Amino acid sequence: MIVQLLGLFARRLLVAIPILFVVSALVFVVLRVLPVDPAAMSMPPNATKSEIEAKRQEMGLDRPLPEQYAIWLGKTLKGDFGASIHFRRAVSSLIAETLPATIELALLAMLLAAGLGFAGGLLLFHWRGTWRGEAADLGSTMLMSAPDFLWGLLFILAFGVLWPLLPFTGRLASSFARPVHTGFLLLDTLIEGRLDMFLDVLKHMLLPATALGLAFSVPIMRVLRSSLYEIDHADYIRQARLRGVSEKRILLRHALKNAILPTLTLMGVQFGFLFGGTLLIEVIYSYPGLGNLMVDAVRNADLPIIQAVALAYAAVVLVINMIVDGLYLVLNPRLRAA
Amino acid sequence: MTPSILSAENLTVESRLADGRRLSVLSGIGFALEAGKVLGLVGESGAGKSMVGRAIAQLLPPGFGVTGGSLTFGNRDLVHMGADARRELLGREIAFIPQEPLSALNPVMTIGAQFGEHLARIGTRSKTRRQGEALALLEAVHLPRASELLNQYPHELSGGMCQRVLIAMAFASRPKLVIADEPTTALDATIQARIIALMGEMREAYGAALIFITHDLRLAAKFCDEILVLYAGRAVEKGKARELLSAPLHPYTRCLQLAAPSLSAPERDLFTLSGEMPGLARLADLPGCRFAPRCPNVGEICRTQEPRLTPVTAPLGDDPGRKAACFRTEMTPGIETRSHAASSRYERSSPLLLLVEGLEKRYRSRRGLFANTELAAVDGVSFTVAENEFVGVVGESGSGKSTLAKLVIGLETPSAGRIELGGRDAFDRSEAARRRRVEVAQMVFQDPQSALNPRRRAASIVTQVLEAAAPRLSASARQRRAEELLAEVGLPAELGARYPSQLSGGQKQRVNIARALCATPKLLIADEIVSGLDVSVQAQLIALLRRLRHELSFALLFISHDLAVVRKLCERVLVMRHGKIVDQGLTEVVFGAPQHPYTRELLAASSE
Amino acid sequence: MGKRLARQDLAFLRSGRVIAGAILVGTVMICALFAPLLVPHDPQEQNLITTLVPPAWSAGGDPEFLLGTDSLGRDVLSRLLYGARVAMTVAILASLGAMLIGATLAHIAGYFGGKVDWVIGRAVDVWMSFPPVVLSLVLMTGLGAGISSVILAIVLVDWTRFCRVLRAEVLVTRRQDYVAAARLVGFGHWRTLTREILPATMPLLITLFSIEMGIAVIVEAILSFVGMSVGANQSAWGQMIADARQTIYESGWNLVLPMLAIFVTVLGFNLLGDGLRRSLDPRLMQAREL
Repeated sequence: MIVQLLGLFARRLLVAIPILFVVSALVFVVLRVLPVDPAAMSMPPNATKSEIEAKRQEMGLDRPLPEQYAIWLGKTLKGDFGASIHFRRAVSSLIAETLPATIELALLAMLLAAGLGFAGGLLLFHWRGTWRGEAADLGSTMLMSAPDFLWGLLFILAFGVLWPLLPFTGRLASSFARPVHTGFLLLDTLIEGRLDMFLDVLKHMLLPATALGLAFSVPIMRVLRSSLYEIDHADYIRQARLRGVSEKRILLRHALKNAILPTLTLMGVQFGFLFGGTLLIEVIYSYPGLGNLMVDAVRNADLPIIQAVALAYAAVVLVINMIVDGLYLVLNPRLRAA
Repeated sequence: MTPSILSAENLTVESRLADGRRLSVLSGIGFALEAGKVLGLVGESGAGKSMVGRAIAQLLPPGFGVTGGSLTFGNRDLVHMGADARRELLGREIAFIPQEPLSALNPVMTIGAQFGEHLARIGTRSKTRRQGEALALLEAVHLPRASELLNQYPHELSGGMCQRVLIAMAFASRPKLVIADEPTTALDATIQARIIALMGEMREAYGAALIFITHDLRLAAKFCDEILVLYAGRAVEKGKARELLSAPLHPYTRCLQLAAPSLSAPERDLFTLSGEMPGLARLADLPGCRFAPRCPNVGEICRTQEPRLTPVTAPLGDDPGRKAACFRTEMTPGIETRSHAASSRYERSSPLLLLVEGLEKRYRSRRGLFANTELAAVDGVSFTVAENEFVGVVGESGSGKSTLAKLVIGLETPSAGRIELGGRDAFDRSEAARRRRVEVAQMVFQDPQSALNPRRRAASIVTQVLEAAAPRLSASARQRRAEELLAEVGLPAELGARYPSQLSGGQKQRVNIARALCATPKLLIADEIVSGLDVSVQAQLIALLRRLRHELSFALLFISHDLAVVRKLCERVLVMRHGKIVDQGLTEVVFGAPQHPYTRELLAASSE
Repeated sequence: MGKRLARQDLAFLRSGRVIAGAILVGTVMICALFAPLLVPHDPQEQNLITTLVPPAWSAGGDPEFLLGTDSLGRDVLSRLLYGARVAMTVAILASLGAMLIGATLAHIAGYFGGKVDWVIGRAVDVWMSFPPVVLSLVLMTGLGAGISSVILAIVLVDWTRFCRVLRAEVLVTRRQDYVAAARLVGFGHWRTLTREILPATMPLLITLFSIEMGIAVIVEAILSFVGMSVGANQSAWGQMIADARQTIYESGWNLVLPMLAIFVTVLGFNLLGDGLRRSLDPRLMQAREL
C-alpha cells in the first residue's frame, strides 16, 4: 500500500507541474490585458508621459508577451517572485509573512467543518423520516443559502458588537509582542511558552474559522446523510442485520466506513473552496493573510503580487486534492488492485 | 411426531397503501418444518415467497406488517417477539443465505474481519480461536487457501466463492433453521449445482432445517423434501417434492411444470399461460380464486369463491400432507400443451446471411503502474448464419457471448477478424452503410429497464425507426404502424400510450422485440432476452418468437445461458467458453449426444 | 427519536419546497423588475442631515425612510430594491452563459468520449484547481470593474461546475441500452443527443441552473463588496454591506438588511432547485428518497 501511495503522489506531482504552468500562463495573459496601466498607477499623479513610459520599460511591460512570461518564469523558478510595485518589497517575503496565517486559519476551519459535518450528518441520518429530521433537513437547506462571508459578518455583529465576547480584527491583541519563528502563531506562541498569547491567538481565530467551518460543513453533512441513507439499503447491510448485528454497530462499523468515501471526495472539493473562502473572510476580519494581500494587490493593480499569490492559491488547492486522494486510496480497498 | 422447528398457521402479511387501503401480500400461509428437513417455497416473482423469509426476520419493508395468523419458532412466537429477543435469534439459531453473494459482503472490510465479527457475536472470545474456527469453516465449504482468503476483500472473490463464505458464516453458529432466498439465481449453471450440493452437505453435517426459496420448480423438487407452491400471496399446493412434481394437483403447478423448457424430455411445445400474475394493487379486486383469470380449467365456482388449501388424496396415495387449493383438482391432469405449427422458412440451401471469420476482441486492463495485461473477450470465433436460421449461442458469464453479439451488431469494433452481413462488409462506417444496416440487422437488448427510454411512450418506442428513416411520415400513419407492431407481438393497442414504467417485465420485452421488428430486419440478435423473466412469461415470449418465425421471415442469433430455452428455439447451437467456440452443431445432436467435455458439464449442471 | 413519518406526509412536505422557492424568487424578481415604480426615494439621493436613521419600527425611526438610511443619508429600502436589479441581472445572464457553455461541452465530452472528452476534462481540471473567488478576482483585474465584467467573470469561472456535474450524468445516460438502440435504429449523432440524451439530463440541468443563480448572486455580492462591481453611482447589496461595515457600531441594521436580502434570494433559488430536482422526475426519484 505504501508503494501505491507513493506512486499516487508521484503521479499527482507530475500532473500538478503542468497545471501550475498553465495556471500561471493563463493568469499572466489575463493580467496583461488590463484596462489599467500598472506603470501609471505606481507613479505620482503628476508624472509626465515620458516618465510613465520609462517606468513601463523598467517594469518590462513593453516587451512582447511570451518574452515577459519567460522572464517571469525564469525568475520564479529561482525563487524570485519579483518586487511589489505598491509595497516596494520582495513578493516572496510578503507571501512568507501572510501564507502561514491563511494556512493556519484554513486548517482550523477545515477541522471545524469536518467535525461539524460528520456530527451533523450522523444526526440528520439518525433523525431521518421524523418531524425533527424534516425540520433539520429544511434547516440545512437554509444554512447552505448563507455563504461564508455572511456568517462572518453575522458573527461580528453578534459576538463582536452586540455581545462583545470575541475580538474580530487581526491575529493578536496589539498589547502582545508578536513572536516570529515559523509564522504559524499557534506554534510560535507555544514555542515561547506563552499560554496567554496562545489563547489570545485562538480567540482571534475563533470567529473567522467558525464562520468558514460552519458554511462548509453543511454540504458535508448532507452528503454524509444521503450516503448513509443509500448504504442503509445495500445488500450487505441487510445481510448484517439478518446476522443480528446491532443497529449501532451497523452504523458505526459497517455503514460509516462505506459512506466516508463519497463524503471524502466532496470534502476534497469543499476544502478547495474553503481555502478560497479565506480571502473574503480575511478582508472582513482584517486578518493579515494571503487574502488581504490579494485584495490590496488587485486594488492597486500590483501585478507581481497577483501573479504570485494566484499561483500560491492554486498550489495549495493541488496539495489539498493530493492529500484527499491519498486518504481515499487508503480507505478504499477496491482501488488497491492486488 | 417430531416437533417442528418452524411452523406457520394462517400467516397473513398486509401492507398499508397511501390511501389507507390494506393489501394482503400473503394470506393463509401454513406449513410445519421439522428438524433436518428442507422445505421449498416455489413461486414466480411477486408471489410472496421472499416475504415469508422477511416475516421470519421481521425485516419487512416499511408499511408492511404481519396482521394475522402465527409464526412459531420452536415454541416461541416470532410475530409478537420483541425486537431485542429476535435479534438474539438472528445469526444464532436462525441464519440467512442471500441471493446476491457479491453484494452481500461489506466491500471495505476483509473477509476475515466480517467473519471474525460474526464469530465474536456468537460467542468465540479469543481472537486466535476465532481465526481457527473461521479457517475450519472455510475449509468445510471447500474454499482453497483459506488463510489467504481471510485477508482478501469481497471484490477479489468470484460470486461462487462469496456464496461459499456466506454459507460458512450461516452455518457457523450451528443454527436450527437456515433460510436460503434464491441462493443460486445469480450464479452460473455449473456453480449452481455445486452450491446446491454444498448446502445439502452442510445441512446434513449440522442438522439444520432449511427453507429453500426459488422460482425453479424442478430444482426445488431435486433438493427439497416438501414443497409449498405460492401464487399471488396464497399457497396453492403443498406436498412431498417428488410426488408434487410427478403428479401436480393444482392447475398452476401443472402449468408451471409445462412452461419450463426441458433438456431431456421429448420435444413438445411449452404451455403458455395467458397474462401475468396480478400485482399487489389488483389483488384486492379479485373475488374468488386468484388464479381464475388465467386458469385453463376455470369454472363458475372459481370466480366467486376462494378455494382453501385442503387435503386431497394424492394420486400415489402415500402422502398424508398433500393439499391443494382448487375446486377442480381432478381436471388438472387434463392440462396438456397445445401444439403450434411452427414451420419455418429455413432450408439447408438458404443463402448465408452472416459470415464471421476469425473474430477477436481484446481489452487491455491496467493493473499497477506498468503491467498491462490483455484480456481476450472473443478469441478467434468463426461461424455462419443462413437466412431464416435460428442459431443459439450458449455459455456461462465471461464466455464472451454478449461481446460477440455487440461485435456482430456493430456496437463494438473488433480487434481482428471479418464480419459480413448480407454480403457486405459490416465494418463500413460510412453513413450510407450504417443506414443500410438498419434494415439488415437489429438487436433486442437484455435489460428492459435500460433498453427502453423511460420518457417515451411505447408507441413512440416501437416506431423509432421511422423517426430517422421517414421523418415526414404523418402522425396517424405512424400510429397505425405502432398498432400493427404491438398487435404482432401480442399487445393490445391501448398499451401504446403507456410509459415503460407502467409496463410489466414481459410487456417491456415485447415492446423491445417490436421495436427491432419495425425495421423488418433479416437478422435479429437477441441477447439474453428471457433471462430474469418468470417461467410463464418466458414461455410466452418463446411462443411469440416461434409464431413470428412462422409469420415473418428473419434469422435469429439467440444468446442465452439457458440450454433448455435454446433447445426449444434454435436448430443450431454454438457453445462458447473463454471467448472461443468449443462446440457447435445441430441442437439436437450437441445436446442429445454431447461430445465436448464442457458441453457435458453444462448439461449436467442444468436442473434435471 | 420520534415517530417515523408516513410516505404521504413526507411527499407533502417536500413539494412545498418548489412553491416556497418560487414565491421567494418571484418576490425578488418583482422587486427587481418594478424597482423604478416601487422605490419611495431616489436610491442615489444623499441627504447629509438624515444620515444613519434607524428603521421605522425602532426608536428614532422615521416612516419616511421605512428601513432607515445609510451613512450618506440614502434610503436603504430604495437601495435594496435597485440592488435587486443588479443581483437578478447578473444571476440570469451569468447563469445562462455558464449553462450554455458548460452544458454544451459536457454533452460533447460525455457523448463522444475519447480524445474530446480527455481534452475537455483536462481543461476543467485546470480551471477547477483555482478557488473560484481567487479566479474571479484575477479575471476582474484583467477585465476591469463593472457589471458586464462581473457577468463575464462568473461565466468563465462557473461553466466548469456545469460541465463536470452534467458530464457524469451524460455518461450514465450514454451507457443505457436505449441510446445504443437509437443508434442501431438509424439515429444520427445529433438526433440521438437531442431526442434521447438531453431529455434525460434536462432535470439536472434545470436544477443546476437554479442553484447557479444563487451562486451568481453571492459572487456579485462579493465583487461589489470589494468594490469591483457596479460603480459608486449604483446600488448593489455587497456594496451596501461594505459601506455598513464602516459604521457597524452605530447602525447594525444597515449591515443586516442587505445580508438578509442576499440570504432570502439565495434561499429561494436553492429551495426551487432542490424542489425541482425532486418533482421533475418523480418516476426516477421516487425509489431513491424516502
